[in-house]
Amino acid sequence: MRVVHYLNQFFAGIGGEEAAGAPPEVRDGAHGPGRLLQQLLGPEAQVAVTLVCGDNYAAENLEQLTAWALDRVREAQADLFVAGPCFEAGRYGVAAGALCAAVQQHLGIPAVTGMAEENPGVDLYRKDLYIVDSGTNVTAMRDAVGRMASLALRLLAGEEVGPPSEAGYHPRGLIRDAFVEETAAQRLVRMVYAKATGEKYESELRGAVFPKVPAPPPVIDLGRAKVAIVTDGGVVPKGNPDRIQGNAAQNWGAYSIAGVDDLRAEDYEITHGGYDRRYVEEDPDRMVPVDVMRELERQGVVGKVHDQFISTSGLANPIANSRRLGREIAKKLKEDEVDAVILVSA
Amino acid sequence: MRLTLFVHPITDLRLGGETRIEGAALTVGEEELRGALLQDGRLESVSFEVVRPGEHARIGGVFDVIEPRAKQPGDGYDFPGAISPMALAGRGTTHVLRGMTVAVLGEPSGSVIEMAGPWAEWCPFSALHHLVVIPRPRPDLPRHMALNARKQAGLRAAAYLARASLGLPPADTEMYESDGPSQPRVEGVPRVAYIAQVHSRQFVAEVDEQIVYGHNTTGMVPVVLHPNEWLDGAVLAPNAGLNVLTYHYQNHPILTELYRWQEEGRVALVGTIATMAGGDNFDRDLNCTLAAELTKWALGADAAVLTKTGGGAPHADMGYTAKLLEDMGVKTAVMVGPPNLSPERTVESSTLFNYPEVDAIVFNSGGAYFELPAARVERVVAPSPEAAETFFGLEKLAASRVTGVTSQQGAQRLRALVY
Amino acid sequence: MVQITSVMPVAKMVGSNRVIQGNGIVSPVGAPDLPPEEERKLRERILRQALEALQREPEASA
Repeated sequence: MRVVHYLNQFFAGIGGEEAAGAPPEVRDGAHGPGRLLQQLLGPEAQVAVTLVCGDNYAAENLEQLTAWALDRVREAQADLFVAGPCFEAGRYGVAAGALCAAVQQHLGIPAVTGMAEENPGVDLYRKDLYIVDSGTNVTAMRDAVGRMASLALRLLAGEEVGPPSEAGYHPRGLIRDAFVEETAAQRLVRMVYAKATGEKYESELRGAVFPKVPAPPPVIDLGRAKVAIVTDGGVVPKGNPDRIQGNAAQNWGAYSIAGVDDLRAEDYEITHGGYDRRYVEEDPDRMVPVDVMRELERQGVVGKVHDQFISTSGLANPIANSRRLGREIAKKLKEDEVDAVILVSA
Repeated sequence: MRLTLFVHPITDLRLGGETRIEGAALTVGEEELRGALLQDGRLESVSFEVVRPGEHARIGGVFDVIEPRAKQPGDGYDFPGAISPMALAGRGTTHVLRGMTVAVLGEPSGSVIEMAGPWAEWCPFSALHHLVVIPRPRPDLPRHMALNARKQAGLRAAAYLARASLGLPPADTEMYESDGPSQPRVEGVPRVAYIAQVHSRQFVAEVDEQIVYGHNTTGMVPVVLHPNEWLDGAVLAPNAGLNVLTYHYQNHPILTELYRWQEEGRVALVGTIATMAGGDNFDRDLNCTLAAELTKWALGADAAVLTKTGGGAPHADMGYTAKLLEDMGVKTAVMVGPPNLSPERTVESSTLFNYPEVDAIVFNSGGAYFELPAARVERVVAPSPEAAETFFGLEKLAASRVTGVTSQQGAQRLRALVY
Repeated sequence: MVQITSVMPVAKMVGSNRVIQGNGIVSPVGAPDLPPEEERKLRERILRQALEALQREPEASA
């Protein structure tokens, strides 16, 4: 059994974030976690080649990388393609998902990857791929790779994969009908009893669930408050220095408006591709209202306008990822002692 | 209030001269029964067939399935408000002919009872005897009247047959007793209520569609009912069917399960609510709010299970009612499933409500896309020869068409698993 | 936090507590069709509304 394995710069041992721009390369045999993968796939398995690419390079050149990877997989005459596990690394997960999906679709061989629930790659690719739940902890590598290997072996043997809870992959959201011994009535009463008595129960259906967000108390003294502007409309300085993606953005940026009374069109661009951007391009204050906020600051309506605004793109942004972005932004603004936020959404 | 069922098992069913029960054999006096049913001048004729377990047969065009039951004289009336004068149901003694049904047929209906073949194992009616009743209303009648005549014929036949057991000693006795909401709270024993939609206003109820004590539910707001009332003929399946059968009100899977848990001392069944899915936003908000508040304040429930009747809007109403209950501290579990006709078999297309508190969901298959081969049958019983022909030629049957397999009353064992 | 958006149902569904109606998806705190003076007044109106909301308890959700 010939396997091709995909790794990012970190797991291939090239380096950390500073090496994220590493271009794609082919290495013979198994590297990094690939050795464990080979071992756990059994004596018949051989990682023929390992494909390595830096996360930023992958994120910025996904199409070319995919074409290149398909060629390498064909050349290697692989029976199986494995990517990751990626844990929480978002750019890695998105690239892994894209490559696996392409291999599956164009080469018709099984493809398996592994990611944590929060990885944007999960929401993007869960319907198309078997994505093992690796959790966020890199020290659980052996467990994650083990489940990836088991799943891969079943796919190769043409066997039934089994439900998500058994095989350890993220639910793909696909429905299959099956007879069970208990009637719905029996299951219903059992479930409500467990819920009513504080015991554990497992719902047979879990939709996208939006937990209640506790409302912060009202701002008492706005005239002394520091207010920050945050936007998901993707307004960024010209050149998009933080490379915030328009689609499923995995990062956010904080941009200085110290001493700035008014955002000028020539200083900014829009990375969010999901709305007609020309009006905000003409005048970015239409999304990030610095001009009026400065005026209100002068009038004493607000105590201070924070000297940075925060920006990201909300377009097609998976829920788990958006939650992470929100948490990170909130943390940063708390560190900056901001009292209140105006979030302007596209 | 206590309801006692005197159970008379029937293991042999045949048509004959005089209606009588001998041991476990019921002979149906055909002419006698016909005469009784044709007292309703709206019927032109009525025919009967007997179908037995094990036959390579299919009953097609099922309109409703009813268990033969009759009140002990003095303890109330049969199907009160519908075919009898009004009387409180659910008390005293009711005689039950168990092991058989009255299966009422009528067009148009694609529902079938499979007595043999792959579906027989999962169809709860394949193991029972059936007196098939095919009422033929006069063709000049307005549709709603024809449907009422059809429904009443079935109810009358069911009561008539069960009356043959009056005075006979029962082989078995079942007792259903609940003191309702006034029973004192017992530590560690949750007080559970059942909230069931009995009609969906996505369909306008016919003026003479008999659902709750003969009332068609138009203009009704949610009402509190004792569990026994459902079991004893107060609530009937609506005209549209929608995976709801009178048989499964009489033998309600959820109520009987709750009673079982109560027997074991694990829950207190404090009561039920009959409600309707709303016809518009105002109607929805009103019914959902009242159903929830009755559950909390009139029944004093700690927990509630909810079911629906109908499609997507009822599903949303049920979710909203559950959310309101959770807001009031009542723990809920809801049952979703048929008739989910969405061809996109995904989770997203199956949830029409999205409240994090409503997180205990039983997920039944919509049934429309799960097929098994249809039985190779020697005999088809159907409302007409033309209908019989279509039912004969079936190669496959989807779960949603097999009576009792998809059920909004809790009988369903075909689950939707999320992969 | 107060959110200014033109897609209220989504904001409410995901649990945003203080939500103010924006003036259109392409220009939530702008109005390209108005003369600059009027547009600025509109921006100020919306922002004052938003700041008001920050000082109140969140409205009961629909």
